Amino acid sequence: MSAADRARDALSRLVDASATERVLISTAALVLSVLIGAVLVLVAGRMTTCTAGEAVYYFGTGFCYDPVVVFDRLFLGALGDPLSGSWSPNGQFAVTLRETTLLIFTGLSVALAFRAGIFNIGTQGQMVVGALATALGVLWASSLVSGAVGTVVLIPFGLLVGAVFGGLYGAVPGLLKAYADANEVITTIMLNFIATGVALYLVSGAFKDPNSAANQTVPLPEFAQFPALLFGARQDFSIVALGFGLLAVAALYYVLEHTAFGYDVRTSGVQPEAAEYGGVDAKRTVVASLSLSGALGGIAGAMYVMMVLGTFQTGIPAYGFDGITVSILAGNNPLGVGVAALLFGVLKSGTTVVQFATDVPPQLVGVLRGLIILFVAMPEFFRLLARGLPGTGSKPEAVATDGGTAGDRGGETDE
Amino acid sequence: MNTFGSNPGEWAAFPPKRSGNVRYRVVESDEFMTRSRANTGDMASDIDRRRFVKAASAAGLVGLAGCSGGPSGDGSDGSDGSDGSDGSDGDDSGDGSDGGDAPAANVGMVYATGGLGDGSFNDQAQQGALQAEEELNISFQESQPEEVSQFGTFQQQFAESSDPDYDLVCCIGFLQVDSLSETAGSYPDQDFMIVDETVDADNVASYTFREHEGSYLAGLMASLLTTQDFSAGGGSTAGASTNVGFVGGVESDLIQKFQAGFEAGVAAGSDDVDVSVSYTGSFTDPAAGREAATAMYNSGADIVYHAAGNTGTGVFQAAQEQEGFAIGVDRDQSITRPDYADVILGSMVKRVDTAVYSSIEATVDGEFPGGSNVALGLDNEGVALVYGDQLGSELPQGVRDEVSTAREDIIAGDVDVPSEV
Repeated sequence: MSAADRARDALSRLVDASATERVLISTAALVLSVLIGAVLVLVAGRMTTCTAGEAVYYFGTGFCYDPVVVFDRLFLGALGDPLSGSWSPNGQFAVTLRETTLLIFTGLSVALAFRAGIFNIGTQGQMVVGALATALGVLWASSLVSGAVGTVVLIPFGLLVGAVFGGLYGAVPGLLKAYADANEVITTIMLNFIATGVALYLVSGAFKDPNSAANQTVPLPEFAQFPALLFGARQDFSIVALGFGLLAVAALYYVLEHTAFGYDVRTSGVQPEAAEYGGVDAKRTVVASLSLSGALGGIAGAMYVMMVLGTFQTGIPAYGFDGITVSILAGNNPLGVGVAALLFGVLKSGTTVVQFATDVPPQLVGVLRGLIILFVAMPEFFRLLARGLPGTGSKPEAVATDGGTAGDRGGETDE
Repeated sequence: MNTFGSNPGEWAAFPPKRSGNVRYRVVESDEFMTRSRANTGDMASDIDRRRFVKAASAAGLVGLAGCSGGPSGDGSDGSDGSDGSDGSDGDDSGDGSDGGDAPAANVGMVYATGGLGDGSFNDQAQQGALQAEEELNISFQESQPEEVSQFGTFQQQFAESSDPDYDLVCCIGFLQVDSLSETAGSYPDQDFMIVDETVDADNVASYTFREHEGSYLAGLMASLLTTQDFSAGGGSTAGASTNVGFVGGVESDLIQKFQAGFEAGVAAGSDDVDVSVSYTGSFTDPAAGREAATAMYNSGADIVYHAAGNTGTGVFQAAQEQEGFAIGVDRDQSITRPDYADVILGSMVKRVDTAVYSSIEATVDGEFPGGSNVALGLDNEGVALVYGDQLGSELPQGVRDEVSTAREDIIAGDVDVPSEV
């Protein structure tokens, strides 16, 4: 059997892999990435210098960094040390869940657009717009109500404001794509810069908090922020927000798989011409899916303002771009986004623990993080790739009338 | 993430189209593979592979051991008998307080988001901690937050840690003020210090700088030089043209302190000198700094002062090209940016390291100034105008005299420098 045949064989096995097999493959990839990362940590530990007391010894050789400690901190540290018995409700686990919550929304935002065959690189910009709108809208509304009633009213209001403005900002590239045939990748990237620039202009000028040296809006009153129930008050985490996130995961799954709109979105993503032939209004679907995607990004911004910072400050972290990776990791499946966001959350929050507990430079931890994501994402990536190749998979090959194959259209991302 | 965005076309056209050509070449190489395989057999090749993996990992290990780094005993470098040197270490610590296992204080550093290696603010804060490590025998642990929401995380980790128990947590940069206000309230027994902002709590010492005072001296120097014919290094001023410039980073209250002091100093030197002001909107954009400064030099400015972080590198480039002068900021930039030493007249240094060092010193001495706000100015060397490494000696004595007189007047309180534009 030739190498090419064997590769094709392997790929078709990958395409036909059952859910259990895929979980096993991902786990194996995770373990492999940890092993390779451990070697990197050891190598880096030989390239730096330290005193004998700080070193660890493996194979009779001294190393400055201990990979066991690094990965222990990266994973267990992020979970708040559940094994040590000192798990605290205000510990690192709350940070992990906080990051997870935000990444769920940006991940869903990207995933929805992907499913419609659209590359939404603009989630970051939509998040910025949503965040700023929420900060200003809720600040205005908080003068009208107060107390517990205020919380009940203002939080849905803030999410709505974020969703509406993020959605409108997402609709712009949608309209440009549908009616002016503008490539959404370019427009969404450009709109990111516009959002950041305009936000800086507004927040350093008209809406600046006069009491702060930073470029930020006037902080929201306590009752206008997500309440900390059960745990996480010190870590700016609210389980209510995570609840909203899980709700969004389920809702988007339902919409995509069990509604007419979801069918339109999916078919447009798989085969736009066929979808149109089958009666899908392509223009409407593009605008609608990008608006909805933008709305999810806007909600992420609203969460960031009402849960994490309590104000809008320029320099919003790159949750929108992380969302792209989360979505790919999840195979663009809303249910997978929840899991991928948790993995990302663990890695993000674990990074700070590693930095705190060891002398390993943060850049090296970034490399380990990247390795893990790359390894876990690769099998899914190859699956997407393989499904397009003729001769892989058990499905008989569909030949389009122009002689090409269905796979040539590409972009099929459905599970 | 950007790698993804940079090549979207490939993704959209996914999967790659196959061409007959490629297929042919693949087959060719297959034939070769098959032939060689026929000789060795699958088993043999498996063994080959295993042997290769084994050899590779052995080589890797040897390579690792051969690396120059790794642990080294104090003094006895490279020798395996590190036990002996450890023992002598113990003797040292028995003798006195030097070099022992128990440091005089444990200090946690939470840097600003730029991280270490920024060539100014964070590096200078680290300088203060390193100095304290050397002179006061403290030990410190560093953390470099990447985003604003991580400030609180790190502050709490330091505050919560019991192994070691941190005596002081240094928070560098004004963006930390909101999270520190919360953290300080949650951990009343933990001492904190913050640079560039004030937090009103009993366990927080705030260190701010009177940047306007140092900038006043920079303005005075620029004003005196631009009104005379002066030439040194790579630049010159023409007495006929009385114009100087100020390039700022992101417009904020903090940077406006620099501008206000500079303008006041220029006005004190001469009534005829105009200041052109430009904010580039970034601390990390040398191209924008170069553009802004070039425009100033072209419109007749001889000397440009910047308070723009790394953007200021562009100001120095423009000064060299246009044969003008520049004034640096934060550190002695004629030393940290030696390529431009021939145009840097001086630098308005802001001693973040002094703030860090003195807070650690106070902690070690048991005199932590909790709840206080220390404003470091000219009087306590928190800010200063230092002359350029290369050009300083060529400055006219008259200018130097006037600057040092103004410095004494400010310290004595005879001159009041405005901190707002």
